[in-house]
Amino acid sequence: MSRKRALIADTFCLTKRRRCAADSVTADGAADIRSSLQYLMTLFSRKLFNDSLPPVVLKHQLYSLHNDKTSVDKQVNELRENGDLLMFQLGFDSEAFALVFAEDYRTKVLQGEAGRETLGTVEKFLAKLIPGCSDLSFNKEKMLKEFLFTDPAITQLVKSGVLTVRDAGSWWLSIPNSGKFIKYFIKGRKAVLGMVKKSKYGEILKTELEGHHTTSQVKFQMKYHIHEIMGAELVESIQTTSGTLLRYVDGNVN
Amino acid sequence: MLSFLYARQSGLDDPVRLRRAESTRRVLSLELNHNRDVDRIHGNGINTLDTEVIDGRYMLSGGSDGVIVIYDLENNSKKPQYTCKAICTVGRSSRHVHKFSVETVQWYPHDTGMFVSSSFDKTMKVWDTETLKPAEEFQFDGNVYCHHMSPVARKQSLVAVGTKDPKVQLCDLKSGSRIHILQGHRGEILSVRWSPRYDHILATASTDSRVRIWDVRRASGSLFTLDQHNGDKSKASSEAVNTAHNGRVNGLCFTADGLHLLSTGTDDRMRLWNSGTGENTLVNYGKVVNESRKGLKFTVSRGCSPEFVFVPCGSSVAVYGLHSGELITMLRGHYNNVDCCEFHPDYQELYSGGKDCNILAWVPVLRQPGIEDDETNSKRGGTQAAINPAFEDAWSSDED
Repeated sequence: MSRKRALIADTFCLTKRRRCAADSVTADGAADIRSSLQYLMTLFSRKLFNDSLPPVVLKHQLYSLHNDKTSVDKQVNELRENGDLLMFQLGFDSEAFALVFAEDYRTKVLQGEAGRETLGTVEKFLAKLIPGCSDLSFNKEKMLKEFLFTDPAITQLVKSGVLTVRDAGSWWLSIPNSGKFIKYFIKGRKAVLGMVKKSKYGEILKTELEGHHTTSQVKFQMKYHIHEIMGAELVESIQTTSGTLLRYVDGNVN
Repeated sequence: MLSFLYARQSGLDDPVRLRRAESTRRVLSLELNHNRDVDRIHGNGINTLDTEVIDGRYMLSGGSDGVIVIYDLENNSKKPQYTCKAICTVGRSSRHVHKFSVETVQWYPHDTGMFVSSSFDKTMKVWDTETLKPAEEFQFDGNVYCHHMSPVARKQSLVAVGTKDPKVQLCDLKSGSRIHILQGHRGEILSVRWSPRYDHILATASTDSRVRIWDVRRASGSLFTLDQHNGDKSKASSEAVNTAHNGRVNGLCFTADGLHLLSTGTDDRMRLWNSGTGENTLVNYGKVVNESRKGLKFTVSRGCSPEFVFVPCGSSVAVYGLHSGELITMLRGHYNNVDCCEFHPDYQELYSGGKDCNILAWVPVLRQPGIEDDETNSKRGGTQAAINPAFEDAWSSDED
């Protein structure tokens, strides 16, 4: 065991903490999650999709920036309840959730819909969705009774990409044109993990990986992928004197 | 630390507070101790460990070779270097030994006269500790994965048994009957656990990804099923609605006060549930690596202020804070997969057993004695070194 200092329970640390300045890691407020989200959104490559997609961040990327996963979850849920953030279930992993700021989502969807005849229905749907509803999927009953949509209207929504089929009579909320995003994302994630695996001893310093030249498979920025694999615990992050070391974890499905 | 002692002495603090703070400090300093060893008897992996409740002195272990061993954990020699001896074994030479691997052993909760073991040879045997012969044997149709007796039951002595059959069977030790069946699961039952708070509440975990809570006094089905999304049907895909995990659920553990239940699943997640309402408390422990095809035995600390969960993760034991979900440390020391771990609440020690046939004892690292203690000892001379200065008085004499 290479622990340099023994772990001390919080109760015994009171005097120490009063004297030293508080750690920046312990003081996490709701504002911090929002600023982390904004930072991660800047890593998203807009130009790749010709500006048709709003910046998308994955929920577990936040885990790589903050230590306490439970408080991250809590704050994300608070932002969703306020209507600032929307969460989507991406198809490939039952635990991978995408987060988009509500305003960005609305502007991009309306921008994509401009000029099409489905515009009116989509606007109506967005108006219902954004302030109040924080569901990830909708079933037929809810659409007909609560939202007062008709069957042809639901078909229009599916055609415009705002809803995707989940199973007979229920739909997931989705981002239009996100198919390309998911395809590049999965390919890029596999390529980055392969880079970590192929390096000597199966481990590589995070700064070194960021500087690695990106292969043709990796379309997003390296930092975006690195936050993602760290947060999903597909690699083990170890603190060393030369920075963070990422070690490949055996037994990954990918 | 001195402030705690002073507060306790002057009555400012509750006596429990000092005890909890010290227990927590000891658990945080758990380390592999080269002074403490456990006899190596098993020839194959160790599947299960159980310490008796009354004294915490004797420990049972069951192995993949069908052998059951009883160890004495108490250190009666005056030296710090101590090996926990195996007092008796039900070895391969015994006539009544289990034919295949022993999956679960448990002491009778009220005294050490009896223990129950269940095994992959489709039987569950109730042993007499004195003679090491089975007093009762229950036959089942499929492999028995786990069994549990309620630690608080006074009036009933039911053993809940989880087998390959989706029906949970309750065997009565007093009458030998096994007619009580709990129906509801659709897959093999990998783990059963009685609540330490009520003697009629039972939790069962199965390969159909569901955890059910039962009240055994009722004739109807389960009380409720644990739902990881707390009823929010929109989050899950339609097959995964109302499931506790996205894979097989293979471990269950109640906290010491019985108010919370922990479950681990092969989706590499561990979840904390409110055992009264069945609500998922959404504490996020991150990825808890779990590849076990049968049950996983993990444990929760008792008597500490933030409680800790000790989960076997691959070849090490991971220690998580119960309510915060953060990974405190990983206890590394085993050479192969760890299958079970057991916490000793009085000494804050952890015993873990695994496929490498070793039982490792994790003991809190004590503070090093100060230099002044050595000086006073040498001044007084060698003969009186064994007497604690606190017990010395001025009027008794050793010459009588």
